[in-house]
Amino acid sequence: MAIDPDQYLDNEDASVVMIVTAGPSTPHRCATPFYLASLLASMDAEVNMFFTMEGVRLMQKGVADDLVAMEGGKKIIDFIRDAKRAGAVLHVCQPALPGYRIDGQADLIPEVDHVSRASTLADLIMTCDKVLSF
Amino acid sequence: MECNGCEFHPELYYDDEFQIWVRREGDGSLTVGMTDISQTIAGKIIHVRVRRPGTRRPPGKPVATIESGKWAGPIPNFFDCVIEEGNPDVLESPTLLNSDPYNAWVARVSPSAGPDEALAKFLTGDAAHEGYCERAVREDIHCSRNIK
Repeated sequence: MAIDPDQYLDNEDASVVMIVTAGPSTPHRCATPFYLASLLASMDAEVNMFFTMEGVRLMQKGVADDLVAMEGGKKIIDFIRDAKRAGAVLHVCQPALPGYRIDGQADLIPEVDHVSRASTLADLIMTCDKVLSF
Repeated sequence: MECNGCEFHPELYYDDEFQIWVRREGDGSLTVGMTDISQTIAGKIIHVRVRRPGTRRPPGKPVATIESGKWAGPIPNFFDCVIEEGNPDVLESPTLLNSDPYNAWVARVSPSAGPDEALAKFLTGDAAHEGYCERAVREDIHCSRNIK
């Protein structure tokens, strides 16, 4: 059987920033960012996920443990771990934490790589190839 | 051989998390596939993409990407190699990875330093079986070929 050449993966390396504002009030919007991050990272993209606004709550201990995007679906914490395992880097927006009474030292899940300032996001946006917002 | 209903082949080579298997082929190449544990975790696989033949893949750079309804991720790579080909049957019918994971190889690769050196990093035989069972039991993984 001949293989269609387009079935092969041949992308250039790229950097992608994903800005995630979806949180537990809209659980149906909380799985896809991690799924896509996993896929992009598996395609050798450098993926930085930046959680701000209500998105920071996904990085709060316990919140994603029982959260699902659809009834009977996989838990969001497992989507988070898939993205981490694939190589995505997770940033939590420091200025957003006080509004949700989250302590950046004590309340975040261990999958978080950085508690980052808005200027970090600005730098990421200005230097990456693609920006996606969720 | 099996553990928790997860099929195991002692003659194959496995990474220490039992994500993939590697098979020595007669021409010095190696074929790479998903373990029964991996296909079970992924669920019904809907798309597979292999790196283009001729592409060099250093350790840590995946040889392929896999998408299922609930999981997207890499077929990880642990040794320096060049992609020879993707399995046309799997590219055409990705659920073969669910229904027949040890015959449905994903990619055939040529290890840069030869097969012996590449395979030296992997577990095989009784040691692999022990680790495979430990993971299945520890994570309470019960393998299924259900692809509905």
